[in-house]
Parts: sequence; C-alpha cells; structure tokens
Amino acid sequence: MTLITHRPGPGAARPYRFPPVVRRAVAGGQVVAAHLPGQNLAVALLLLDAGAAREPVGKEGLAGVLAKALEEGTAQRDATAYALAIEALGTELVTGLDWDSFQVSVQVPVDRLSAAVELLAEAVRTPRLDPTDVRRVRDDEATALRMDWANPGPRADAALRADLFGAENRWGRPMYGDPDSVAALDAEDVTVFHSEWFIRPGTLIVVGDLDRLDLDALGAAAFAGTGGGPVDRGGPIEVPIREGRRIILVDRPGSVQSTLRLGHPSPHRAHPDHVPMTLAGTVLGGAFTSRLNHLIREVRGYTYGIRGDFASSRRFGRFAVSSGVQTAVTAPALVEAVGEITRTQAGGVTEDELAVARSWRAGQLSVELQSPRAIASALTTLVVHDLPDDYHARLRESLLAADVEQVSAAAAAHLHPESLTLVVEGDAAVIRDELVATGLGEIVDAAP
Amino acid sequence: MPDSGYPWPIETTRLDNGLRVVVSEDRTAPAVAVNLWYDVGSRHEPEGQTGFAHLFEHLMFEGSMNVAKTEHMKLVQGAGGSLNATTNPDRTNYFETVPAEHLELALWLEADRMGGLVPALTQETLDNQRDVVKNERRQRYENVPYGDAWLRLLPLLYPPGHPYHHATIGSMADLNAADLATFQAFHRTYYAPNNAVLTVVGDASAAEVFALADKYFGAIPARADIPSAPDGRVVPATGRPAVETITGDVPAPRVYVAHRTYPFGTPGYDVLTVLATVLGSGRGSRLYQRLADGERIAQPDLVGAYGVDLAHAPAPLIATATARPGVTGERLAAGLAEVVDELATVPVTATELDRAKALLTTAWWRQMSTVDGRADTLGRYATQFGDPAKAGERLPAWLAVTAEQIAEAAAEVLGAADRVTLTYLPEETS
Repeated sequence: MTLITHRPGPGAARPYRFPPVVRRAVAGGQVVAAHLPGQNLAVALLLLDAGAAREPVGKEGLAGVLAKALEEGTAQRDATAYALAIEALGTELVTGLDWDSFQVSVQVPVDRLSAAVELLAEAVRTPRLDPTDVRRVRDDEATALRMDWANPGPRADAALRADLFGAENRWGRPMYGDPDSVAALDAEDVTVFHSEWFIRPGTLIVVGDLDRLDLDALGAAAFAGTGGGPVDRGGPIEVPIREGRRIILVDRPGSVQSTLRLGHPSPHRAHPDHVPMTLAGTVLGGAFTSRLNHLIREVRGYTYGIRGDFASSRRFGRFAVSSGVQTAVTAPALVEAVGEITRTQAGGVTEDELAVARSWRAGQLSVELQSPRAIASALTTLVVHDLPDDYHARLRESLLAADVEQVSAAAAAHLHPESLTLVVEGDAAVIRDELVATGLGEIVDAAP
Repeated sequence: MPDSGYPWPIETTRLDNGLRVVVSEDRTAPAVAVNLWYDVGSRHEPEGQTGFAHLFEHLMFEGSMNVAKTEHMKLVQGAGGSLNATTNPDRTNYFETVPAEHLELALWLEADRMGGLVPALTQETLDNQRDVVKNERRQRYENVPYGDAWLRLLPLLYPPGHPYHHATIGSMADLNAADLATFQAFHRTYYAPNNAVLTVVGDASAAEVFALADKYFGAIPARADIPSAPDGRVVPATGRPAVETITGDVPAPRVYVAHRTYPFGTPGYDVLTVLATVLGSGRGSRLYQRLADGERIAQPDLVGAYGVDLAHAPAPLIATATARPGVTGERLAAGLAEVVDELATVPVTATELDRAKALLTTAWWRQMSTVDGRADTLGRYATQFGDPAKAGERLPAWLAVTAEQIAEAAAEVLGAADRVTLTYLPEETS
C-alpha cells in the first residue's frame, strides 16, 4: 500500500468574509442586520440591557423567572394559545441571559420571520404577568435550579465566583441565581423588573436573506409601544487579586469524580490586552491541543477533558480552569494543573504553540460563523461592546499579527498562579488528606 | 420553500477500492466540511467487547503512519479548523470543518488514519485512551443524577444478543480487558475504504475533490468479507411490559417510557418522528399541555419525547417527565402512560399536526444551515440508504404525514404490552 507520506501545504487562501452589516434606526430603536443571500432560515433576536448585572443584590434569578413568565400569556392571548401560535410558525421563544444583556429570539423559515417577530414583541412588551402564574413560574424555576444544583458543577462554580468577586456583590453571586434566591422572589419583583428594563426599545438583530425581509417593518413591530432611553452601563470594576492561594472544598459524598474549578479575576472586555490574553489562554487551556489538556488528559489520562480560558464582560473578567477528574487522582491533577499555569505565567508561550493558537482562533471566525444563529450571536457582540461593522475582519488581523513577545507578556501580566482559588467538589472524606498534603494552600470548607 | 429538503448540487463517485465520495459544492462561505462515515458501530461488538468501537474512535486521534502522536488535532486546529468524532450503535463518524485552503490537509489526515493506523498503535496509547474513556463514562453516566438512564433502557428494550442490547460506552470490565491485538484486528476488519463514505461540502468543486480523494485514498486496498453485525430487524415481542425502578441519589422522581418503533429511514419512522414532536416537543406538545401545564404534575423544563434515529432495527421512542415537588413517581408514570396511550385513541388535530410540521421544518433547515450539518446528513444517507440524494426526501416525507397514520402507528407500536418503563426515585422521600 502506498499512502502519501508528504503532508500537503495550504492552497490559495480565500479572502475573509463576514456578511455585510446593515444598521438602521427605526421607531425609537436600533436594527442591526446581516445579509445571508439564499439562506432559508432567518433569526431575529431582541437585545435588551437587562442582563444579570441589572438585578438587585438579593434578587438573583429575577431575569430568569421573568423570561419564563413572558410565555404565561399576553395581553392578547393565554399561555396555551401563545404556545400554539408561535410554534405553528416553527419556533419556540428562546431566551438567553448573560451579565451584560438579556436576549429573546426566534428562528424560522424566512417567510415567517415577520409573524414571529410580532409574537416575540407581544410576549416581551405586553406579558400578562398574572401574580398567580408568576409565583408558579418562580416555584418551577426554583425546582429547576434545585435539579441542576444536584449535578456536579453549579456549587463549585458558585464557590469560585463568590471567592473571586465577593458574595456581597451581584457579580459575586451565580448569574442565574440559586434555588434559595429564586424561591425568595415575589411576583412584584418580576413586574417591577419588567417595567424598568423590558419596555425600553433595545436593539433588534436580524440575520437572513435581507432581500426577502423588511427591516423597517420588523423594527416597527419590535419597538412598538416602547419608551425610555438607554441607562448608564457603568465602567469597569476594580477587582482585587487575593494574596496567596486557597483550596475551597465542596463536599459531594460518594462522588466518583472530583470537579475542579480554578480561577482568579482578570481584565474586562475592552482591556487593550484582550487579543494577546485570549491567545495566552488558548495556548494554556483553550483548545484540545492546549497545555492543560495535553498533560492532564493525553499524557496522564486523569480526565475526559480540561479547559481553561479568560472570559470577560463589559465590567469585569475572570480566568478559570474547569475539569472533572477521577477521585483517586484529584491531588496530582490539581498540582499539575497549577504547575502548567505557573509555567505559562513564568515562561510564556512558544512560537510553535502560538502558531496553532492564532490560526485556530482566526480560522474559527470562518468555520464557526455560518448559521444564522451564530451570525446573530456575533452581531450581539458588536452591539454590547460598541464595536464597528468590520470588527471580525480586524480581529482576525490582530490575532494573526500577535507575536510570542506580546502573548508571553500578556500571560505574565494576567495569570496569577500564586493567587488562584482552587475549588474542589468531590468526596471530602476521601480526598481531604491528600489535598492538605499538596501544600497548595489552606483548605476552607464550603457551606453545605 | 423548495420542494426538496436538499436544494444544493450533489455529485458522487466510487473509487476503485470501493470508497464512495460525495461532494456538494457551496461557495457561500470560505469553509469546507470533510466527513467520514464508517459503517461500524457498537452493534458490531461481540459479547465481552462492549465499548470497543468507541474506544477505537479515540485511538484514531493518536497518530498514524505519517502523523505523529497528538499531531492530528494540532494540524487541524493549527489550520483554523474544528474537528470531532462520534460513535453510536450504528456507525462511527469523523469530521472536520476547515478554511477551504486546507481541504487537502484534511483529506491527507483522514487517508493516513484509514490506511495507516495499525503500525502507529501502541500499548501506551491504548492504556492512556482507555483511562480517558473510563473518565468519560464516569463524567457522563455515573457521576450525574439519572445519567445511566440510556444504559438501563437499552437492555430493557432489546434482548441479549440483539445489536442494540448494550450501550456504546461499554462496560468498565470490558474496557479493562481490551488488548492491543483486538484493536489492531478491529481496524483491519472495519476501517476499509469499501466500508466508508467520504463527504465534502462547501467551498470546493466535485472534480477537485474526486481527484484529491483518488490521490490520497486511492491506494488503500479494499477488504473483502467485512463481517456484518447481527441482524436486529425483528425483535420478538415479549407480550409483557418491562418495568424497572431505581432508588438512588436523584433530586426528584423521574419516569422514562420507551418503545421499539420502526427503523430510521422507513415510512413508519417518518410518522413516528412527527408523532414524537406532537407528543413531546415544545410548550404546545401534549406532554407539556397535559402534565406540565394541565395537571401540573411534571416540571415544565423536563418533559419531552423524541425518537433515537437508529437505522438497523426498530428505533426507540422515549418519553420522559420529572415530578413536581409532592408528586409521586407512581402518579407521574400513570400520567405519562395515559398521554402516550391517547395517541392511539384521541385523534391528532390539524393544529397539532401543523405545529409539529412547522417545528420539524425549522429543525431540518437548521441542520442544513452549516456545511458540517449538510456533510453529516449526506454521509448518513449514502451509508445507510446507498444514495445521498435521498436526504432531500426526508422533509417532504414528514410534511406528508397524516393524523390517521399517527393513530395507526401509535396503535401498532405504542401498546402497553410492549412498553418499557424506567422510574427513578429519590432515596429519602419526605
């Protein structure tokens, strides 16, 4: 048999293309659209300044309860009639929440988008919010969170977040709240949050074949009956880095794996080091071939996977590593993970690794930006972070231009291995002594 | 809306060694999807070797004759690509989407591991990936509440010896017993060009792909006598329902009701697909309306029904619900069974039918909205039905399903005597 032994080089590179972006002011709101000629599916997404960071401290989970309550009937029809109307178009109402924004979207064949946007607006602008329904939705949401919190992960995530950002701050508490915070909400909290944040026009993102869509009509439907202008979104928050490492142990008796969450605060999204920091994170933990996954999975076989990255919102950011490792190897996995973070901070990255990281990140801007939903998500990035229409093309250029010196400098400046919080959710009775013996830091038990 | 579910060109060829090549050109984005379907899955595994097809899939990323260990991932990601592989009872597939200028690299990598894996396979690699897979089993099935439901449903649905009796992830004991020689033989037996379909979708022409396929795969020899999996098309009815109740560390009672239906790709399964959407997809579905909204015995986010698209035996339909606080597993199971039973007796209305078809239409076009989604679909139809163009028939077939057909299918395959019921109960019920 003759296999070709010589690895082929690349062919002629195609020019990078992001779909043409159209921005338009309509009926008091903004429409931002991308043209995908010939595409049968279309997406409309209403972006509101009603992210988790808008929830008052002590009311975590408010936006999530409101999201569900939107579908419990509108001024025009009851919950069942609403479900049948929107699903008859081929879509459900999809809601999303992050720290900076609240999103509601529909995805339908292009000829149905206008009807779908009208129904979207009906739920967002004129929900019935009957107190009895809202309380039931709240109870269901609390139950759903209790179910979710029975899985490994949410308790560890909450412990890390509280330690990084302080539980006295909204951003030091879980983005979706926890079972207790949701159970404590009352119906009025939900109506007040709605009237404060869901009546402002916001931005309508539209992705599809714009030759078959009327953006003015879509905008008029989305912004009908809205009022109130933008509200100040606040500047970056200074989050202190802790002195010294600590281990937070979250007990999960009988667990066959230990869930690891390691992290520390990092810069906000608009920080000038965003690109080199992203690349440093990619070399360390962002891709399958990254240092952490290579060592902990491919060399040691301790885990099914381990990932690490820098993530940021408008006002704050964090570096975090997450994994699930077999209980018996919890301590060595933790030591080696901290070792890789330390090595990367101290020694930076190599050209060989960076070459993979930069072309991977740049290539993903073509490969992963195909579907209307993916493009809609890319447009929300432009809106939330005030970025220009050619942002993706420019990002691609900066990724490809980043050199070893810049990326190593970002790793040195923004990784803090000595200040890591190491959260371990696992069988405490089995792993505690080994964790003490690692000497990685003092051990604190998380509240059960 | 086009009449076909696949309004793009499809061109096919077959190399002399039997490799089928499918190309669908689309210049919309400067990306290309490469997808290999191998017609081997966990249904081919004999007793004592469960989990081998999937563990083997892991070994395919660990280097081959001209690709060093760990280099495969690095080369694809270093080209800007996304890649992965999946194994199920029917088949194993490997896929990458890369910027179009790296098409040739992707083909070279796939050819090298099709034709040259065995010489690179070492005991060390096997031991390492065995550990990784055991961790995958812990993470996905053992360490999460209800995580083993699928592992428990399969043996209740399919008798010992049936190709779908065991789950693809396999047993820890079998994984521990896996030896190197078995895997070398596994590759020689099944990873042959005449047991695979290569599909390329996106920014490339058919002529270009056919020439490159011949250049990289053309010299890999065909294998005669590839053994087939046991025939599972007929599953004798036992005449009595199967019931299993697990008491364990779960936060609320949960019930799964499952039935053997029809193989994926048959007219019966098209009816079943629409039926499952009427029953359990969205807030307008029967399960949501009856159990989450009406009687309010089920948690709204956790009711649903779906078919598992398996093609070599009657595929499962699974309906599930999780109890609201204060609702017993018994009451929930009775409620779930009642809604399933009514599919045969309470006719599906035009509104229900239109709703289901609209949701399926969107789901279809979502799958078609990326080059990787299209490549996987064409690979499936070429592998399982001998013709990628048959992909275009699926959506029209769903849209032609009638309420009468749904009632008939429900009467035929969703009877209480053929039902599998799996119930999870929390250890301490308060």
